Amino acid sequence: MIQIDNVQKYFYKGEEREVHALRDINLTIEKGEFSLLNGPSGCGKTTLLNAIGALDTVDSGKIYLENRDIVALSENERTNLRLNEMGFVFQSYNLVPVLSVAENIGFIMKLQGFSDSETKERVEEVASMLEIDNKLDSLPNTLSGGQQQRVAVARAVAAKPKIILADEPTANLDSKNSTALMNMMRSLNEKEGVTILFASHDEYVIESVRRIIKLEDGAIVES
Amino acid sequence: MYKLILKLAWNNAFLRLSRTLLVIIMIAVSMSMMLSIQGIYDGMTVNMIDKTKRSDSGEVSIYNPEYRLNKVLQNSIKDADKIKAEIASRSDVSAVVTRLSVEGLSATARKSAFSNIIGIDLEEEIAFGEFDDFLKEGEMVLGKRGAVIGSELAKTLKIRIGSKVIFSTQDSSGEINAMAVKIKGIVKTSNISLDATALYVDAKRLYAFLGVKESEATQIAIRSTSETLQQALQARYTKLDVKTLLELNPMLKQMEDMMVIFTSITFFIVMLVVFIGILGVMYVSILDRIREFGIMRAVGMEYRHIRLQIFLEALFVGLVGYASGALLGLGALLYLQEVGLNLSQFADGLASFGMDTILYGHMELSYFTNTFYAIISASLLSVVLPLKKIKNLNPIDVIKADT
Repeated sequence: MIQIDNVQKYFYKGEEREVHALRDINLTIEKGEFSLLNGPSGCGKTTLLNAIGALDTVDSGKIYLENRDIVALSENERTNLRLNEMGFVFQSYNLVPVLSVAENIGFIMKLQGFSDSETKERVEEVASMLEIDNKLDSLPNTLSGGQQQRVAVARAVAAKPKIILADEPTANLDSKNSTALMNMMRSLNEKEGVTILFASHDEYVIESVRRIIKLEDGAIVES
Repeated sequence: MYKLILKLAWNNAFLRLSRTLLVIIMIAVSMSMMLSIQGIYDGMTVNMIDKTKRSDSGEVSIYNPEYRLNKVLQNSIKDADKIKAEIASRSDVSAVVTRLSVEGLSATARKSAFSNIIGIDLEEEIAFGEFDDFLKEGEMVLGKRGAVIGSELAKTLKIRIGSKVIFSTQDSSGEINAMAVKIKGIVKTSNISLDATALYVDAKRLYAFLGVKESEATQIAIRSTSETLQQALQARYTKLDVKTLLELNPMLKQMEDMMVIFTSITFFIVMLVVFIGILGVMYVSILDRIREFGIMRAVGMEYRHIRLQIFLEALFVGLVGYASGALLGLGALLYLQEVGLNLSQFADGLASFGMDTILYGHMELSYFTNTFYAIISASLLSVVLPLKKIKNLNPIDVIKADT
């Protein structure tokens, strides 16, 4: 599903403070995987996740999403790719404060042009899976951190993306909420068959995933 | 999707309610003040033009071309009665009067002053321009020996109601002749020249006194709303001068132009205030929500949709501000129309311009349509700069700030 060939990424290239963030990355992620990019801070896991998510560019190499090289895409094409084929979960929940939980979950579906009824049906389905169906009319600021992160996951999964990229999703959650969130995401992966790739060094994530890809100094050391 | 963008824009426009309300109040107050100033400016001009039309020239006046250079009886319009009848029969004319006017000297036992005796048909003048409306003191009657005098001339001659005035002038035969009149009323037309020199008597008496045929007149004044009347009459009466009100009163034209300049400057300042107000609020609002926009871009929302949302936010603030300002301005204008603005402490200065001490407002639909376009344009323009921030926004920077 995702094929990464010889990817290199530098920050501050050509300057004295140049950082070689990704070193000759070669990686394959199959459909339906529940995997983790793991390693110490600054090892390049978020940089790699952002490159896979077409949020960031690379200096050389290829990244294929179902045989399509996303490195060669224009800015607009990358925006469309993120909208239609990817879902994102960030460390801070980043919900839209003026929209209700239901509207936040259906946000991407509405951008994709789904009808009100299709969106409503799917929002209720996903909210039920993530146990936030009793909060659909609430505003995000009335929810706990764990509930807000579940809304963020629901938003990412509602539009049925090919892959969900989750960067430190449990970093702001306590142990109980972290375990609950990971259980729910694993359940989504199994029920919906959605590919989920995490970038994290949190033990709750490490314990939950089926595959761990270890990075050190921008290079994969174990996959 | 557009329903969602609309909701986002509406909710965000009023997310920081006190901040948004402050801008709305600023727009409303600036706009209502601007409407009031414009109403007063226009009211002054419209009032002066209206009084000049009613008391003197109408929309169009006809003279013998020589008369305007040399105001003697020999330069009258010879067949004025026929011309008057012909013009009165036109469908685009609402009223016509003829006047006979001659310059001379008005004197009392103690004072004398240059004046202009005008022979009028009082009933016709009332129908023409509600002449009785200008009465300041006394009664509006002329009769066989009565006269009505301009307020400034009365002041110069120190005349009261019932005073006797001797008017001397050259009659049609060239002889110096004098007539005695008793002042029945004092009029204030706000037409500086008339108020300072006019002595109105019955036309028939003046014709007889001057030995002029009743078919003659020195002026034919016409009331009409037709824009093309002047050209039509000039084409018909080629040997006569057919002039519009503003051609006859260049000072009024200058004043009208000056008011347009004043209004434009006020308009520009108010719009600048609106522009800066909305710019400030939108800029701060966008900086506050830069993370939100970054995340929207990250999850695949196109820049054009974010731009639409921001434009709509500014539009909503502008529209609510406009609606409040229009209501407030309408109230102020209605008050100024009804009650007016009392400037009696500046009475002398205003009188020298022929203005009343109470200035009444004027109102036109164009005030509201022009401010609508201006406020909406200012609102939309005010977000161009903040939008640049979002256009250049890299979602990665926002996500990095997360960690």
